[in-house]
Amino acid sequence: MSEFTLPKNSKITEGKHFPAKAGATDVRTFRVYRWTPDDDRNPRMDSYDVDLSTCGPMVLDALIKIKNEVDSTVTFRRSCREGICGSCAMNIDGTNTLACTKPISECSGSDVKLYPLPHMPVVKDLVPDLTHFYAQLTSIKPWLRTESPPPPDRERLQSKEDRARLDGLYECILCACCSAGCPSYWWNADRYLGPAILLQAYRWIVDSRDEATGERLDFLEDPFKLYRCHTIMNCTRTCPKGLNPAKAIAATKKLLVERRS
Amino acid sequence: MSTFRTPLKRALVLGSAKHGVHHFLVQRLTAIALVLLGLWFVWFALRLPGLDYAAARALLAEPVNALLMLLFVVAVFWHAQLGLQVVVEDYVHTSGWQLVLQVAIRFLCVLGGAACVLAILRIALGR
Amino acid sequence: MASYKIQEHKMDIVVVGAGGAGLRATVGLAETGLETACISKVFPTRSHTVAAQGGISAALGNMGEDDWRFHFYDTVKGSDWLGDQDAIEYMCKHAPEAVIELEHYGVPFSRTDSGHIYQRPFGGMTTHYGKGTAQRTCAAADRTGHAMLHTLYQQSLKHDARFFIEYFAIDLVFDDEGTCRGVLALDLNEGTLHLFRAHGVVLATGGYGRTYFSATSAHTCTGDGGGLALRAGLALQDMEFVQFHPTGIYGAGCLITEGVRGEGGFLTNSAGERFMERYAPNAKDLASRDVVSRAMTIEIREGRGVGEHKDHILLNLQHLGAEVLHERLPGISESARIFAGVDVTRQPIPVLPTAHYNMGGIPSNIHGEVVQKRDGNSESVVPGLFAVGEAACVSVHGGNRLGSNSLLDLVVFGRAVAQRCAATIKPRQPHKDLPATICDKALDAFDRVRHAKGGTPTAELRLTMQRTMQADAAVFRTEKTLQEGCAKMNQIFASFDDVHVSDRSLVWNSDLVETLELQNLLYNAVATINSAEQRHESRGAHAREDYPERDDENWLKHTLVKVDAKGKCTFDFRPVRLATLTQDVKSVPLAKRVY
Repeated sequence: MSEFTLPKNSKITEGKHFPAKAGATDVRTFRVYRWTPDDDRNPRMDSYDVDLSTCGPMVLDALIKIKNEVDSTVTFRRSCREGICGSCAMNIDGTNTLACTKPISECSGSDVKLYPLPHMPVVKDLVPDLTHFYAQLTSIKPWLRTESPPPPDRERLQSKEDRARLDGLYECILCACCSAGCPSYWWNADRYLGPAILLQAYRWIVDSRDEATGERLDFLEDPFKLYRCHTIMNCTRTCPKGLNPAKAIAATKKLLVERRS
Repeated sequence: MSTFRTPLKRALVLGSAKHGVHHFLVQRLTAIALVLLGLWFVWFALRLPGLDYAAARALLAEPVNALLMLLFVVAVFWHAQLGLQVVVEDYVHTSGWQLVLQVAIRFLCVLGGAACVLAILRIALGR
Repeated sequence: MASYKIQEHKMDIVVVGAGGAGLRATVGLAETGLETACISKVFPTRSHTVAAQGGISAALGNMGEDDWRFHFYDTVKGSDWLGDQDAIEYMCKHAPEAVIELEHYGVPFSRTDSGHIYQRPFGGMTTHYGKGTAQRTCAAADRTGHAMLHTLYQQSLKHDARFFIEYFAIDLVFDDEGTCRGVLALDLNEGTLHLFRAHGVVLATGGYGRTYFSATSAHTCTGDGGGLALRAGLALQDMEFVQFHPTGIYGAGCLITEGVRGEGGFLTNSAGERFMERYAPNAKDLASRDVVSRAMTIEIREGRGVGEHKDHILLNLQHLGAEVLHERLPGISESARIFAGVDVTRQPIPVLPTAHYNMGGIPSNIHGEVVQKRDGNSESVVPGLFAVGEAACVSVHGGNRLGSNSLLDLVVFGRAVAQRCAATIKPRQPHKDLPATICDKALDAFDRVRHAKGGTPTAELRLTMQRTMQADAAVFRTEKTLQEGCAKMNQIFASFDDVHVSDRSLVWNSDLVETLELQNLLYNAVATINSAEQRHESRGAHAREDYPERDDENWLKHTLVKVDAKGKCTFDFRPVRLATLTQDVKSVPLAKRVY
């Protein structure tokens, strides 16, 4: 029924230490989770001493510096480096966030610890497998669904107020920081949609142009898909874009109550 | 695990149960009821130490107290059942255990609740 | 001979890249019922279109008088007359319907009081052929690219498009007759090789901003399409035209949208002067990007830069007020806080011209078909190969792209390519038999890179390339620096033979992918700097100090450049098409470009 220790192959061992070059003045150690499916070895934590005087301010800058100058086998996703693509989501200093917008100076521990997003299968090092997360997005049919045809030669109209209801929702970058930080999602990811996907679902529920509101609510009304949210609020606390998935979920629950009374 | 299924198949699982609002609502309603009834219960319990057995029985037998006590135990067991159900759903992932525990929780809550109700009725109706 | 097992996929069309253009093409193709595969090295919503901020231009006239002909004129003028006017006509004429289609797909555009799409002013966008200021750029706050890309991905889910995510395209596959028959790709997750057979391959791989040290581009903007085309022996067009965005955040290089100036922001130098009034008396801060970038560079050069090293300029938007900033520019407020430590309601943002966009690319026509010059015919179509988006050069941007025309380019031509394929390719036709050895050359090259154990790590070589391009092919160019730069770049290109890859695994080997990307970057960089060296005039974003004037007599033509395996460039030229596509609009006659 329950396991109280980690399986043997997931115990993290101590890895290699890569000291900084001689003469480095402002050194900080980055401890990076390493695992590859190529051999049967356990995951390990490699330590890299980085000279911050020759490094950019963000955690991603340090990771790139490590990859460029010390160990090019360190593997992580990255792209826009400005917090809009959502590639470099990982667990930094105990919190899920984007490496590209997390200043090294804001990491509290003496060493900066970098892990992949928790409770996701790991592909390699800091690269998690997000297949299930993306499939859950597909499952909510996240596109504009209407019966009425749009006007033939112009846009659908929408009031400023209705458009404003999408603020704080459409900005989601699908980085998965919130879902990977939600204990309920940890235990029940197979059935619970998680905060990111529920935020996306709510984005379509409140879109004044969408006509599938009822079907969308029907789909969410499920003890697991929606009601596994126990208002733990980790999602809102961790969102690197400052969004509030917990509020979107609460609003969805409120609508479900409203349509019964 | 279900390795040969497509990701979407795995994400959709068994589809939507299309219920859950009722559970959500009742859990909150019983919670609100418990806050109010809890205040009364504290007041009631504080009066008991000064009373002997007969006086305590008499106090509970008063119609208002008996009624509130009835409501209180019903709310407690109902709320407990709903809450425990969620805890088991959250953490127990073995289907056999899940079934056993869910049945046991419901039976025990009904049993506990019914026993309390019977006791209160006997006192209130003086038998 | 390297031996790899190759999994074959037979599709009607393969789209390489899942940014705005790739996704728009994929959606369009999936709608038509053609069996379409979209392969992308990143998950679609991580493509760089997501970072586009300001908006997408279309003469909807929601915020005042407008006409697509005005848009046409502005784009021709913005291109410094290097843009092909037939293609520009096609783009501007189809802009309103393409944008309305996006709204119908669900893009959360900002709205006007009457419920229409909100439009803001942008650089170089005017009414009545330069007389008034147009509000033509349709915006979703300052996250238009993000809103668009996510919506397009959602639409592709609706139409069940098939995605192959985190697949890296290694090489194009051509048969003996020069018809493109598919593309060979590496699946990063499993480390397996896949051959996508198709009747049409659409390259939508984006730009190559990462050839420069300081770029607004993502790490993944590595010109893979250009690399694939050049290695296949095709010529690229107008590679010397690289746009520097006036307002990249000083240091970090992150983009601050031109929409800031559209909403009323302005630039100042160390004297607090609004210097753009001197360089562009009419348009001022809303002159086109090349003009503003040059003005900023001159200000800094003449000692009027700000900061400790007098090496940047300030972008002021404090006067706009917290409410406007919050409603219309929330994203850049966040970026400025994170990357410059600036509170935009109280302080200006330190900015610097930063490499941003590549006007050049794979030459293609208005249907997205790749064209080459063959036997004197500069419109000869390469069968089976298409290119759209920043990877392509249609050429609608000519010497300089106007802000908000790139998102438009993506959707108009992404749409056009889907329409063309639907018209010319029948679903589920049998595929031609190819010799078993067709991939051997590509596999050998791949294997060589995979096991490369030279003396230069990928990162070191990449840095040298980026520094060289930044120093010698920047905003202002001269014969001397360009020649030095060409010599250096040729040397750097050659030293790719000495590259070193440390990661030997095949699963998610980012070291290997970065090396393959570097190879593509090198091809693009060599093509760019050599093209710049040979164009003896100043036009659009290509500013030669030794040839400060535009020379229509000798240089009103597109550069075509081929790069061989040794990095040697050969040039040819293609005339600029000054005639329009139809009688709906008159060709804009050559004139001096003043803002």
